[in-house]
Amino acid sequence: MIFKSHRREISVAIAIAALAFVLALATPKYFERENLSDLFLANIPVLVVALGMTLLILTSQIDISVGSTFAVCSVTAGVFAKSGLSVAPMALAVCLIGAMIGAANGALVAYVRIPSIVVTLASMVALRDGLRWRTQGAWVQDLPPSFQWLGLSQAAYPFMAMSSVLFLVVLLGWGLRNSGAGRAVYATGSNPEAARLAGFDTPSVTFSVFVITGALTGFAAVLNSVRFNQIPSNAGIGLEMKVIAAVVLGGTAITGGLGTVGGTLLGVVLLGMIGPALTFIGVSAYWERAIQGGIILLAVIVDAIRAHSGKYANLVAGRA
Amino acid sequence: MQFARIRGNMQISLQAAHKHTAARIVPAGTWILVAALLAEVAIFAAIGENFLTVGNFFEAGGIDLSVGSMMGLAAVVFGAMWHDWNLPIPAAAFVALLLGFAGGSLNALLIARLNLPPLIVTLGSFSLFRGIAEGITRAAVNYTEFPKSFLILGQGYIGGILPVQLCIFVPIFAAYFVLLHRSVIGRAWYAIGFNPAGARYAGIPVAKRISAVYVLSGLISAVAAIIYVAHVGQARSDAGTGYELDAITAVVLGGTSVFGGRGNLWGTLLGLLALSVLQNGLHLAALPSELTGLLTGAVLIFVISLEKWGRVSERKSYGAIFEEVQVKNGQIAVICATILMAAIVIAGTNVWLVHSLGGGPAVVTHRPVIAIMPKAKGDPYFVSARVGAEVAASELGVDLIWDGPTGLEAAKQNELIENWITRRVDAIAVAVENKGGISTVLRKARERGIHVLTWDADAEPDAREFFANQATSEAIANTLTDEAARLLGGKGDFAIITGALTAANQNEWIAFIKKRLDKYPDLKLATIRPSDDDRDKAFVETQTILKAYPAVKLIMAISAPAVPGSGEAVRQARRKARRNCANCCALEYA
Repeated sequence: MIFKSHRREISVAIAIAALAFVLALATPKYFERENLSDLFLANIPVLVVALGMTLLILTSQIDISVGSTFAVCSVTAGVFAKSGLSVAPMALAVCLIGAMIGAANGALVAYVRIPSIVVTLASMVALRDGLRWRTQGAWVQDLPPSFQWLGLSQAAYPFMAMSSVLFLVVLLGWGLRNSGAGRAVYATGSNPEAARLAGFDTPSVTFSVFVITGALTGFAAVLNSVRFNQIPSNAGIGLEMKVIAAVVLGGTAITGGLGTVGGTLLGVVLLGMIGPALTFIGVSAYWERAIQGGIILLAVIVDAIRAHSGKYANLVAGRA
Repeated sequence: MQFARIRGNMQISLQAAHKHTAARIVPAGTWILVAALLAEVAIFAAIGENFLTVGNFFEAGGIDLSVGSMMGLAAVVFGAMWHDWNLPIPAAAFVALLLGFAGGSLNALLIARLNLPPLIVTLGSFSLFRGIAEGITRAAVNYTEFPKSFLILGQGYIGGILPVQLCIFVPIFAAYFVLLHRSVIGRAWYAIGFNPAGARYAGIPVAKRISAVYVLSGLISAVAAIIYVAHVGQARSDAGTGYELDAITAVVLGGTSVFGGRGNLWGTLLGLLALSVLQNGLHLAALPSELTGLLTGAVLIFVISLEKWGRVSERKSYGAIFEEVQVKNGQIAVICATILMAAIVIAGTNVWLVHSLGGGPAVVTHRPVIAIMPKAKGDPYFVSARVGAEVAASELGVDLIWDGPTGLEAAKQNELIENWITRRVDAIAVAVENKGGISTVLRKARERGIHVLTWDADAEPDAREFFANQATSEAIANTLTDEAARLLGGKGDFAIITGALTAANQNEWIAFIKKRLDKYPDLKLATIRPSDDDRDKAFVETQTILKAYPAVKLIMAISAPAVPGSGEAVRQARRKARRNCANCCALEYA
């Protein structure tokens, strides 16, 4: 039973295991603690945003403006920090700004009922160009010393970031499975009309999910920005692609109502480990993108072939 | 461009007579401006190559993100076939088309036969196609010097007015139109998009028809690639970057439902027109390019929510997809209105502009207008260049227009210069991104009496009067290599973090660096990694290099955004392991 209901998750886990096996043979250095911790830190933005995106895709919505939101939040984090705000209020304010952007998207999708891809396409280009206009491409520099590592030490920060992100993963994973709100998300994504008739306030569910994603994007921006002592105004370009790829690869059906946080975690792990792995193996950078694309295609092809025997296939392989 | 020509001639003759009396022609000029603008809209839209990639993305409820990447792959294969294999142009074009067919078939196979979600499949092939294009050219090869007879395809005008591109586009559009709106296959696509299960029960071979959509999409991308090559005069692996987004925006703006089963080509055409008018108008009015995105977003939301509010009385139940399926004739009307409004606003600004240039009856001395273009606006190097330009402009008492592509996009520079010629600025200074493609436009500017300078990177010598060369590639490379040798004591491994793999400047430096290494036999270049001008990526790449290549003792970061990223990675690595392993040699140069 578990094999059937978590088919994609298992496919991705197999792919990760295979990749890890090759790496263990070729370059054992890859698994040194330092590298793994760096990898984790580097993938925090993708993972945290992917948590929100999982909820969105589960409700059969999508948000392609997360990369631009991420950039806006990163820059505002720097501006707040420079204006003398201390760490906690700064983080809170940035999350709030992310949530507000999410709320604007969500209101247009849930209450004006414009398709989410249209709304977020618009906010993606508008936010990105708005930021370019405002900053004229200049970076935020001369940040106060308490900004980097949130005032913690370089050794303590990864621990703090890791535990807070893992807490989020567990919280969302547990909440989706066991809470009423989680059921509302699945119900809205599976069949909005049925969910409505069953008494769920589907527009509010959609709206909240957008707000949560926005806030998580803000949080990701804070966690990422504080690793450096200056903030580029072009942050997060292409983030939406990485995030959506991870979520969909992790088995969340783009048609909604099907998928898990665990699958998303696996998707992020697989995509996050490929890039540096190719460097470790010594693949030329010129072929890297082709190989990455090939691995994604291979993972879904293997999955499709595994599914071909079962009747379950039609249910899972939704149309995008 | 017709507009440019009319105004250009007008201005030149005027210039000869009375330089500062442009105000006199305004009454006569006004309607010419409006009429010419409309003509320009039509022509300009045809010049936007992404026209052709606007396939029928959503008609069958699918999506193809790989069109832009397919363009890149088709472009370099076309270039390679012609240049390296010495095939004649038609044969090379045929190979490129075959490739488009094959790429489309790959998508079709995975989506229609294996029943995989189109989003993830084309996301995969998006990376795959672009990656192969980068791999086979090592991202650096740039095929240029195509024969004149071929370039006409993308740059020429029939009878001086009608762009050749338009003559290619119209039949393709017509064929698409017939296929989509007047044929059984088109009907089948709509049916599948509306309800795949229903279509199947109605006897439509669903998998076959869906396959056809993706094959066609690949094929059209290849056609677009060939025209793109003819237009910009070069074939590089980054051709068509970001076009999937433009294409999707145009399609969605044109009223095609993302859920499939609804939409038509006229709407898409209008959507694209609206986008082009916006972009072009902003350039003409010398407003910053960044406003394009803001306005595109606003128009997109405005148009679609207007159409939604118009139907608010019909609202019955939330989320019923059936509601989405009603044809949006109203939306197309709204877009027409928006285009018209935009046109009027732009024409208005132009009239105002001519007025302000003339300065009214009490002739105010005309301040020279100098337009300066960086390679990319957001790059820190050019950001600081701008500060200098502004100070110099205020000291000299001239008006400065500073605008450029927001990303590294070769064709964008040409568009801007066309607009500047139309605006008739007094001097243009360009940091050239694409030598082959831009020189034609620059020559045109010189013919119109505009002074043309280049800086940072040169165009062809006869296309400009003066080239401000801060540093030659060779000198940069030699200094870098010598400095690296000094830091390492003449011996050891180092790695390079470059910008995008396709960045022409950096590739030239790398070539000279490799050459200079002959002088230092014990110095070894371990690896070259891209940062894609992204600070965070440069950081991760540097961290990985320091671990994967323990012998590497020096990182050479040669793109402005990569410098702080690599520097920070080295700093953190040092502090963490207390090992004095790496020096960071960084050159702040874009």
